[in-house]
Amino acid sequence: MTATNATVEKQLQQGRTKKLVGSLFRHLFLAVLAVIWLVPIAWLVLTSFSTDKGINFKNFVPEGFTLWNYTNILFSSDTVTQFPRWFMNTFVVACFNCVISTCFVLMVAYAFSCCRFKSRSLLQNLSVTVNLFPGVLAMIAVYFVLKNLNLTNSHAGLIMVYAGSSGLGYLICKGFFDTVPVALREAAKLDGASEARIFFQIVIPMSRPILVYTIINSFMMPWTDFVMAKMILNSGLSENWTVSIGLYNMLGKALINNYFSRFCAGGVLVSIPISILFVIMQKFYVEGITAGAAKG
Amino acid sequence: MAKTAVRLDSGEKGFFGSFGEAFVKGDIFTKLSFVIWGLGYIGHGQLMKALLVTFVQGLGLYFLATSGIQSLMKFGTLGTVKMESTFDFATMKNVVNNYDNSFSILLLSVVSIIVIVAMVAAGMMVVASNYDLQKIRAQGKKTNTFLQDVNVYLNEKFYVTLLTLPVLGVVIFTIVPLFILIAVAFTNYDQQHMPPSDLFTWVGFANFLTLFGGGGLTATFGYSFRKVLTWTLVWAFFATFTTFFGGVLLAMFINDKKTKLPKLWRTLFMVSIAVPQFVTLLLVRNFFSDTGIFNTMMANCGVTGLLRNMGLIHTTYIPFLTDPGWAKFTIIMINIWIGVPYQMLIATGVLMNIPADMLEAAKIDGANPVQMFFRITLPYLLNVQGPALVTDFVKNINNFNVIYLLTQDVFATHDQALAASNAKEVDLLVTWLFRLTQEYYNYKMAAVIGIMVFIVCAVFTVVSFRFINKREATFS
Repeated sequence: MTATNATVEKQLQQGRTKKLVGSLFRHLFLAVLAVIWLVPIAWLVLTSFSTDKGINFKNFVPEGFTLWNYTNILFSSDTVTQFPRWFMNTFVVACFNCVISTCFVLMVAYAFSCCRFKSRSLLQNLSVTVNLFPGVLAMIAVYFVLKNLNLTNSHAGLIMVYAGSSGLGYLICKGFFDTVPVALREAAKLDGASEARIFFQIVIPMSRPILVYTIINSFMMPWTDFVMAKMILNSGLSENWTVSIGLYNMLGKALINNYFSRFCAGGVLVSIPISILFVIMQKFYVEGITAGAAKG
Repeated sequence: MAKTAVRLDSGEKGFFGSFGEAFVKGDIFTKLSFVIWGLGYIGHGQLMKALLVTFVQGLGLYFLATSGIQSLMKFGTLGTVKMESTFDFATMKNVVNNYDNSFSILLLSVVSIIVIVAMVAAGMMVVASNYDLQKIRAQGKKTNTFLQDVNVYLNEKFYVTLLTLPVLGVVIFTIVPLFILIAVAFTNYDQQHMPPSDLFTWVGFANFLTLFGGGGLTATFGYSFRKVLTWTLVWAFFATFTTFFGGVLLAMFINDKKTKLPKLWRTLFMVSIAVPQFVTLLLVRNFFSDTGIFNTMMANCGVTGLLRNMGLIHTTYIPFLTDPGWAKFTIIMINIWIGVPYQMLIATGVLMNIPADMLEAAKIDGANPVQMFFRITLPYLLNVQGPALVTDFVKNINNFNVIYLLTQDVFATHDQALAASNAKEVDLLVTWLFRLTQEYYNYKMAAVIGIMVFIVCAVFTVVSFRFINKREATFS
């Protein structure tokens, strides 16, 4: 009796240790992965506080810490760094793009999802085909068109390029609109609501996740885009640049040894608004994407 | 596809049919409205509408008269008068002759063609709508007032109101540029033929021949195209699948009940999303540079020496981004680093939608975790994410940022044949065409490469959507 009890106890003990070891390995593995994912970010943050202006090739942790990089790019602009200007430029472009793109995307998505008309499937197929052309390719031609209109090196041109064909990115949004019950719209129609009223007062309020997703997406675009901004603004004055080309320029061969830590400080400063937005909106983001993907 | 074609056909017939009927049976106002849009509406008692459409028509005609027709006349040659500047002694200034700008001619011609097509179509619509008005009046009923007409565009025809501006945007910023680029592929527009000081002209399929290996001994575009295309496809395949499976596995690992504090882990991985991609890419490229910090660390812990002894490197550093083979490996690894958190985020959401009872039932039936993954989770994920995977693949074919920001100014090719056509081993088709236009002004070849990119993407998309649809059909 006692002998069997002892073996059961022993087996339980073994099982528990096995579980503990398993759990330990599991978390150790995750921790190693997390470190890999955080090392470059840590390097970015550490270097942004470095007293060394250039790249430190020898040590991961800088020799001295200072706030000078931040105060310098924020308050004393020179010909190379005009961070506050760039930040404002990007913010203005982002706001305009946000409003125009969001409207375009919602309008196209609603038309394709809820309205029935003759050329609907033709237009949808066309939009899918046009989407297959690489954006960079169209960009080169757009550049010439803008040059002919005298809109290169201007924010208006950049906004037009960002927002102009944003209607093509309607698919996720349409997927979400498709999930709004048809019966609801029918009922509103019977009650005498116009299509426009149904759009503004029923479908839009019901689509908060996708609305937020679309808004963030279009707001973040100018902050993260590099190639379009470079093409359109690069040959202009540096005070008209957006953050991305400004920071890219700081890493040119002649400048990198003097500006690398300030580049890091700029990178951290740009990340702040983006991460705040992201944290607030993350819930909507996932909801919007998965609802659109799963049901679209 | 076949279905849409048929539907399109019948729609077209309806359109032309109703125009034909209206034009034959219409009264004098209806017929006149094809020439001057407003006349019909005036005749049928809709003054406001008449003014509006005539104004629009006037704008179109004004454009055609002032610049459109002139350009169209020169479309066949793209201009013949070269820019010449002569010094005028009377005014003591350089005087430029009235020269042709090939690019403006091309651009304005494309725009004119679109305007003409649109105006003819609009004229036909005006005639049809006038015929409707005429019939209404013949029956003795009242036609719509202007306010009623406006109301129609908020109700039955709300889609017109919604789509007009976005479609206009797409036409101006995507369709017109694409037509121009396609046209440029058939010209000799390059550094030797740059408007305004020089003219360019049509050359037929010569650029396509160059890309496929023709064009004489000095042209190496054929060789470069094969190499770059191969790497583009290899890259797109690895970039798509490594991040997808990495994200799914990480999400499952964190979602597992045995993992403590799943939220904390998820947040840790998502910190890297918060930093804009161009910052991380530029940062990481310095992290992995030949004299960079990572190489110092590797040398200090002896990995560099070990690799050298194994014969994998022949330098005193690890050429992460400077040797073709290493660079390709490093780029894919860095892309995993960038892409996995996004994919994890999406996979977490999708995984939560898998019915829990399905997994429970499988467990009770004695399925082990591996079986459950391959028989339930993976098919479900592929079903939901299949289309997203296809678009990801196409996006990766065009993944400009990762390649350009990691290798521009860092990677230099030693392959003479590649260098002769301005390509590098690590180039994707899009970065190659970007460099061709930005640094070498070789627009004709860039346009041809762009068309090739489109063909690759289109073929891949059509084939894989066929496959997805078929598979879905057999499943259900």
